[in-house]
Amino acid sequence: MTPSAFGTRAADRALPLAIGGAAALIALLFLIYPLSSAVLGAFVKNGQPVALANLTLANFERFLVSASYQRALWHSLATGAAATALATALSLPMAYAVARVAMPLRATILGLSVLPLISPPFIGAYAWVILLGNSGIFTSLLRDYLGIGLPSIYGFFGVTVALALSYFPYVFLVLQGAFAAVDTHIEEAATVAGASRWRVLRTVTLPMILPTVAAGMLIVFIKAIGDFGIPSILGGEYQVLPTLIYYQIHGFFNLNGAAAIAMVNVALTLLALGALAWINRTRSVATVSGTARAAARPLPAPLRGVAIAYVWLVLIVANLPQAVTVLYSFSERWGGTLLPSVYGFENYRRIVGEIAGPAMNSVVLAGAATLICLVFGAVTAHAVARGRIAGRWAVDLIVMVPFVLPGLVIGVAYLVAFNEGPLVLTGTATILVLAYFTRRVAFVFRSASAAIFQLDRRLEEASAVCGASWATTMRRVVLPLIAPALLAGGILVFATLIGEISVTVLLYSARWKTLTISIYEYLLGNDIAKASALGTVTILLTFALVAAASRLAGRNMADLFR
Amino acid sequence: MLSIRDLTKTFGAPPNAITAVDRVSFDVARGELFTMLGPSGCGKTTTLRMIAGLEPVSGGAITFDGRDYTRVPPQQRNIGMVFQSYALFPHLSVFENAAYGLRTRGMAGAEIRRRVDEVLRALRLDAFAARQPATLSGGQQQRVSIARALVYRPSMLLLDEPLANLDAKLRVEMRAEIRRIQREFGILSLYVTHDQEEAMAISDRVALFNAGRLVQVGRPREVYRAPASLFAADFIGRANFFRAMLAGGDGPSGRAALPGGAIVSAARIVELSPEEAVRVPAGADGLLMVRPESVTIGRAGAGVSGRVMRAESLGGAMRYTVSAEGALGAATVDAWRADEEFAEGAPVVLAADPAESVLYLRKRGSP
Repeated sequence: MTPSAFGTRAADRALPLAIGGAAALIALLFLIYPLSSAVLGAFVKNGQPVALANLTLANFERFLVSASYQRALWHSLATGAAATALATALSLPMAYAVARVAMPLRATILGLSVLPLISPPFIGAYAWVILLGNSGIFTSLLRDYLGIGLPSIYGFFGVTVALALSYFPYVFLVLQGAFAAVDTHIEEAATVAGASRWRVLRTVTLPMILPTVAAGMLIVFIKAIGDFGIPSILGGEYQVLPTLIYYQIHGFFNLNGAAAIAMVNVALTLLALGALAWINRTRSVATVSGTARAAARPLPAPLRGVAIAYVWLVLIVANLPQAVTVLYSFSERWGGTLLPSVYGFENYRRIVGEIAGPAMNSVVLAGAATLICLVFGAVTAHAVARGRIAGRWAVDLIVMVPFVLPGLVIGVAYLVAFNEGPLVLTGTATILVLAYFTRRVAFVFRSASAAIFQLDRRLEEASAVCGASWATTMRRVVLPLIAPALLAGGILVFATLIGEISVTVLLYSARWKTLTISIYEYLLGNDIAKASALGTVTILLTFALVAAASRLAGRNMADLFR
Repeated sequence: MLSIRDLTKTFGAPPNAITAVDRVSFDVARGELFTMLGPSGCGKTTTLRMIAGLEPVSGGAITFDGRDYTRVPPQQRNIGMVFQSYALFPHLSVFENAAYGLRTRGMAGAEIRRRVDEVLRALRLDAFAARQPATLSGGQQQRVSIARALVYRPSMLLLDEPLANLDAKLRVEMRAEIRRIQREFGILSLYVTHDQEEAMAISDRVALFNAGRLVQVGRPREVYRAPASLFAADFIGRANFFRAMLAGGDGPSGRAALPGGAIVSAARIVELSPEEAVRVPAGADGLLMVRPESVTIGRAGAGVSGRVMRAESLGGAMRYTVSAEGALGAATVDAWRADEEFAEGAPVVLAADPAESVLYLRKRGSP
């Protein structure tokens, strides 16, 4: 019973501490420091150093005096609210139908419903021009056959429609889960008491899931007001806060002004987050039982048919942009006709010589960020789950805040923090990798947390008692058991980073141009064909990766985004 | 020898600290199977986890063969532990589960194979070596976890409610198996259970815990026959309590007068702690405790009179529930001799076997 017999070194005991310390340092340097720099920068005039004497509200005054600032704020609120309303209106009946109506191919439906989330929103944005633009497919159809004129796709109408259809899965998935989880005995009690189906829905079911509806709506709102890709393509002169930030930086390199706009954007997001937290607290009181049960109830055949048709209609419409992108990528001539007149691989041939570099860059940057996410996410998740880190809420907050904050805000924060001062990273690959990591570590953290939560901690105790050091226990017991969840989280990070634009657009340099930047440049250069070909490649790649992740995790694709 | 001295565990910070284990002391000798018994929340599992090194010690000391283990991490204690949930590594085969502790010790492959084969044979698991834990029955999984704990010849074996997840019949088989293996390996073992029957059956000595304190230590028979407190009498087996007046006594034994005038010369006298003394009814000096099988039931004679409320057959014995004069609650009598049966409602007289009676006194004194 001499300790030397086990090869247990004092260093083994220090290892968890060292890793915890490193995690804290990373959080401090790359999460807290940039965000607080941006906060401070927002209160200093452009070009001035941060100091007490320099503090000013001048950057915010623009919101009082500049019409374009006021419009951008108003546009963000208007498109955010309208997109949220539209997404909710589409999702409510759809969620109810999928959860409660005997629906063939339910798993497929759920899987398809997250396609708009998987494919980078801005890639599909241009497809709306093809569909609903001045000479778009639907615009012509409606005008020629029904005499209905659509509003211009550029501006409020287009941004709202594209945002709503890109982000509706968030509210749909939350609602579908809630409808499926409501204790049907409560509804049956109402039915037995004499209430009609409609009355049960109105007086029992909907009130019960109301907090959930609100929670889902807030997620859509947060995503919508943070989106850059869609308004940058469909906005035109119609600016929102993220595009305003972009032009402040790309037009004037006014970092401090951009930081101030970002703070307004952050304030809106935090407001919505606060409301979400409040709702989530009250939500637990509502009688939504955790065990989802088969709640499908018989419905008259015609009604059931309507429900099924509706669900598929929404799915098809929401996935139209992706479909159009693919269609366009294979079209060699498309003018004056409803559909392309000549198909071929010409567009792919044209991009073949140009994508190697950006594709390589995307893979390298996303890959490096994914690796960091995996290590950091797994270690912190384990430390938090096993109570080694005090203040669980603080870790949650640090991980989750960059995840929900608009990408452009993170971009601005990184620019402000790392453009000068002790650590200059602007223009490097490192700054992109770190910003990616900051934005996406939550995916790995959450999936690892869930896996570790389900792991009997006695397994680790048994390993320790058997003489295994902390590192051995990690390597031989914990890691093998949470590997599928880690891998799924990692793939999700990688896939969504391949399609990332809003951070990239602020932080990329000529040397580190990514796939999404290439697509963006093609779109700005009005080379829709090339953009579609590259967009199709990106969509298919991300889709294949997410499908692989869902197989690994043994879960429906939809569950990866819940 | 394992020595536990004033072992204490408090959770939370003062003033809201909760003392889960309160100054517990005991010694366990080599080769002994020592059971910590008590109701849930009594501190027995926390004590075991502190001995394992899985729970930081708030106070006191743990020494093994003279070496201080109080702050030694679990990896360096060379202990084997068996968990209630088995805690088998689900991704490793039975062989690899058993080999785990040898691999952490950096043993050579051939030696590992020899040692694992040996321990699997001893536990009759040799046929399952290549199987995954999930494909085994509960009893087999428990044997694998014992194999994993024993393979590296630990200096002690800790078992935390190892049978709680098994069904009743398997539990009885497995406890005999654990006892057999423990004797075969001659290993100092600490066993935690809340099941007093299990504790009686398996242990060399039993330590009874209540509310974080060790209330009594002794051989199973000893604890059963001479419970040191009302709690111990109640928790271990069934106990009948009768109000009693002290009718003289000297040394460890004493005479008690029961209601109705019968005098019992109780073999033991125990003075009650202030907390338990309040359970003695007003007007009595104490309580006479006697086990159901040590009560004689008859139609007449000296004793406490009562009436049979329920008569049930236990197979070998008849169990009578009797509403008796001066009894706390209903009295239970197990009559093993079948020469006479009593119907429900029959008037009876109960007599306590003096040799098996314990007199609990509120306060020791002369009559």
